[in-house]
Amino acid sequence: MMDFLNLILDPLREMLLQFREFLPNLLAMLVIFALGFLLARLLRTLLVKFLGAVQFDSWSDRMGFTTVMRKGDLWMKPSHILGAIVFWLLVIVTLMVGLGALKVAAIDSLVGQFFSYLPRVFSAAMILLIGYLVSGFVSRTVLIAAANGGFHYAKLLAEAVRVLLLVMILAMVMEQLQIATSIVLAAFSIVFGGIVIALAIAFGVGGIGAARRIIEKEFAEDRPEKTPDDVEHL
Amino acid sequence: MTDFYQTGIITTLHQLGKPSLERMESELLGFSKTKPVALVLPALYSEFEGPAMPGIVQELSKVKYLNEVVLALDQASEDDFKRVREFMAPIQAPVKIIHNKGKRIGEVYETLKRNGLDAGPQGKGRSAWLAYGYVLARGQSDVIALHDCDIVTYSRELLARLCYPIANPNLNYVFCKGYYSRVTNKMNGRVTRLLVTPLVRSLQQLTGQHGFLEFLDSFRYALAGEFSMSADMARINRIPSDWGLEVGSLAEVYRNYSPRRVCQVDIATTYEHKHQVLSADNAEKGLMKMAVDICKSIFRTLASEGVVFSEGLFRSLIVTYLRQAEDTLMKYEADATINGLAFDRHEEAKAVEAFTNAIAMAAQAFVENPMGNPLIPNWNRVSAAIPDIFEVLKLAVDEDNK
Repeated sequence: MMDFLNLILDPLREMLLQFREFLPNLLAMLVIFALGFLLARLLRTLLVKFLGAVQFDSWSDRMGFTTVMRKGDLWMKPSHILGAIVFWLLVIVTLMVGLGALKVAAIDSLVGQFFSYLPRVFSAAMILLIGYLVSGFVSRTVLIAAANGGFHYAKLLAEAVRVLLLVMILAMVMEQLQIATSIVLAAFSIVFGGIVIALAIAFGVGGIGAARRIIEKEFAEDRPEKTPDDVEHL
Repeated sequence: MTDFYQTGIITTLHQLGKPSLERMESELLGFSKTKPVALVLPALYSEFEGPAMPGIVQELSKVKYLNEVVLALDQASEDDFKRVREFMAPIQAPVKIIHNKGKRIGEVYETLKRNGLDAGPQGKGRSAWLAYGYVLARGQSDVIALHDCDIVTYSRELLARLCYPIANPNLNYVFCKGYYSRVTNKMNGRVTRLLVTPLVRSLQQLTGQHGFLEFLDSFRYALAGEFSMSADMARINRIPSDWGLEVGSLAEVYRNYSPRRVCQVDIATTYEHKHQVLSADNAEKGLMKMAVDICKSIFRTLASEGVVFSEGLFRSLIVTYLRQAEDTLMKYEADATINGLAFDRHEEAKAVEAFTNAIAMAAQAFVENPMGNPLIPNWNRVSAAIPDIFEVLKLAVDEDNK
């Protein structure tokens, strides 16, 4: 009878022992969650105040970041949105660190993967930010140059340049984040290559006459000049 | 039927005979192919619960030449906004409603404010200004017409006559103000009859002939809220956000355009809308607030044109105005008598006394602060400060209207 009871109680004792060993880890996780959440809130408040002091919202309005947010139907102040992004990033990091404190092998590997992925997210965000600024700058330059050159479709050209650059930047971002890299690379190569070939054909076909004239002119310049007649008219 | 006399330095387009509305609307339909027309309606939600708005919507539903209707809605909750959308549905032209109290438009105002471009307090001026911005953002209309939403006697002829001078490319006008007689069984329009006209003429008496005073005196109903203009004007004109809206807007038109390109048109034989109480003992509301704001606007415009206002000038002005107003009052009494209209001379005299106080108050306010409330900046300046503002405004309105 006792043997039978032991059969039942032993696993329970084992489980209780394991739980006692696990309890400090659980408490550590909860403390990390609480502290991390408070820290995230504090940092968000400080960041929003700092951004307000340096007039980040106004700068964002002029640089066009606000417009990007509005296009995504985000109707908060840019500084508040940035504060929210930082807050949720910190909450996620806290969650990962907290889960790491549990010392469970499966979770440990997940946390490891998360932290090794973070630099990629950061660099992708930087590529997106700088790329957006550069695309805006290049598009504006093209618009001014084309408009000053009397080009009829200056706005269309500038917009096309901007879209092309953004497509390239998005492909870079996707590649950085390692999301369907082969598909993105193939799609990007096809689209970009197609555009370049289309432009080359259009320019080649449309410019046959011009090219002929240039080549003929070049040849004409290379030909030796006629020697003047010795006989001069009076 | 009116006379055909041309008053002042602007063109007056009278209603002579019985012009065919069908002919005018069919011509407007033709003009709208090359000069599309946008109608801007600044409205309060309460106006949809009153008698005026149902009539206006019913008439507008028969209009075919409008390219777009932009309703700037104030004092409305989310539910009110939805009700207004349903209410406006019968109108044939695309209708976009600017929900001034909505989250997105609130953020647009916030964006302007943090960039040092304050659109001023809530009111008709701010609403109209934002609606112009939306029309410019869409870039699909060359003519903007605006009328109030409290007109009980509204007919689509009013709109057709208002739009015609600007929409017709052969007439070459850039600004057209509506006029009408504010007569029911008695004469209304006290602020125009007993304040603006006598004040302008008193100022002419004291400061001599001045272009702006002559310009202002040319309008038969300078305070009429109905006008049409070219879209370019909406881009360069600034707007006052207080009751000086009409006079201040005329000052901007005078500043930016030749009077030869400005006209006024007879838009209605009868015109009735909601009346303001005089509130002679409170300068913060009613006609007194309106009178003070109008006087301040006139003083500031003249000062910006180089007229020097001294204490002596203001003292003389009050006396000169009182004499002018009393003379005007007698003229209107005779006019009312011959037409069999009721005329309460005592009430009219009380209004003149109140307006005299309003001039004194406006003079004091002007001396204390000659700059006053700044005008709402024009859209050219706004887009220079925030290059994407038109896109953001368009996104806000379009999202609200989805």
